[in-house]
Amino acid sequence: MVKHSLQSAGKRKNHRGALEISFGWLFAIIAGAVIIFLAIYISSRIINSSQETVSAETGKEIGILLNPLETSFESSQITSMTIPTETRINNICDDSGTFGRQGIRLDQKSFGKWVETSTDVFFVNKYIFSEGIIEGKKFYIFSKPFSMPFKVADLIYLIPSARQYCFQGAPAEISEEISNLNQNAIATSNCAEDSIKVCFSSSTCDINVNINSKTVTKNRTRLYYSGIGEDDSLMYAAIFSDKEVYECQIKRLVLRLKEITNLYKEKAVLVETAGCDEIIIPYLTEFELVIDSFSNSLNLQELAAKGEEVENINKAGECLTW
Amino acid sequence: MKKKGQIKIQQTIFMIIAVTLLFVLVGLFFLSITLNKLNKEATSLSEKNSLMLVSKLANSPEFSCGDSFGSNRPNCVDFDKIMSLKRNIDSYSELWGVAKIEIRKIYPSTNNASCTNENYPNCNSLKILNKNVKSLPYDSVFIALCRKQASQSGPYDKCELARLMVSSEDRT
Repeated sequence: MVKHSLQSAGKRKNHRGALEISFGWLFAIIAGAVIIFLAIYISSRIINSSQETVSAETGKEIGILLNPLETSFESSQITSMTIPTETRINNICDDSGTFGRQGIRLDQKSFGKWVETSTDVFFVNKYIFSEGIIEGKKFYIFSKPFSMPFKVADLIYLIPSARQYCFQGAPAEISEEISNLNQNAIATSNCAEDSIKVCFSSSTCDINVNINSKTVTKNRTRLYYSGIGEDDSLMYAAIFSDKEVYECQIKRLVLRLKEITNLYKEKAVLVETAGCDEIIIPYLTEFELVIDSFSNSLNLQELAAKGEEVENINKAGECLTW
Repeated sequence: MKKKGQIKIQQTIFMIIAVTLLFVLVGLFFLSITLNKLNKEATSLSEKNSLMLVSKLANSPEFSCGDSFGSNRPNCVDFDKIMSLKRNIDSYSELWGVAKIEIRKIYPSTNNASCTNENYPNCNSLKILNKNVKSLPYDSVFIALCRKQASQSGPYDKCELARLMVSSEDRT
């Protein structure tokens, strides 16, 4: 009897002890696992969001740094920009809305690996011509005004410093302009062996420019450009950018051209009250119709021809509208 | 014994809730600090943008005189064109990424009237863009504000001294 009661007490004791230990362990394991999981999850989210923040801030700063590149009476400007870490700039172009949007997304190298971000920074008044993705630490920013026939915007050409464009056989005015820039990224002589050859008189280079037909051929694609007078800003745009970026930015420029044409039309009506004989108004209406029919860079020459006509009317007028 | 076990479980549950609450509160505190820092950073970048923009805005195609008043010159704003811009400002509200753009004549100062289609050009200030948001103090630059003026001998160019002022949104 005594033996039996001792045995059952021992069983109870063992049973209760097992329950206490298992609950404590169970709690520690579950709580520990949850805490460790949350700690890892939250810290990875914090690292990701801080990378996104750095990317967005740098993107915004790049956009702000591009503001001083707005030209007044100078024909071109060049500057350089250095980012502390190796950076990949994604050139995003959106041609929807009144003016479309220029987007920049930056991926930066961290511990030797590219960290992709998803934050795009947008600017409405910027037109960046470059390859879809360019990378490096130092970039050259070259800008030129684009007029059709009045100034529409400043075009920005973004070139990584590791890349050199070698212009061969360029007309005197283009060679002179490039020499005046005095930057290694665009050269006419002493070119590096691995530089991108841009030829004006042959068709066997990496990029071939035909000034007569106003075309730029590269990677088996043909881009059309045009300009009034000596305006060669779109030629540079075609040289430095890929087809998607080029066509999209051209559409955005035409959207802005349409809005500015409308401003000049309204201005012409207003200055008529000051005594100006504004014969330009019907020509601007016709110009608007050509702008409305624009669909891609193939239409640029037609647009430039009409623009030239409007420019001649403006110059012949009593008061210059632009 | 059973009651003691229940109390222990209750204690554990309360502790878990308290620890969770602590984590949530610490998280919220951290989040608010981060958001505040981000807002300050965004405002600082906007301020930088308006400072950089104001010095070049006068030369942008929507503002600049071009060759309308003789040869192309920097910091010359076409008042006639600006009046047209004012009428179409809805299309342009997002173009420059700022909250307010204003032009105020400095010399000769005529009256304090704000420019409208009816009183133009006999007015002193023109609010080109005026978004209904909290904004930072203005950054400004001196400009020549030019327009065509009627006279008996025909239209002539009239330029006045003015200030072009730009303000960005305050996100703090």
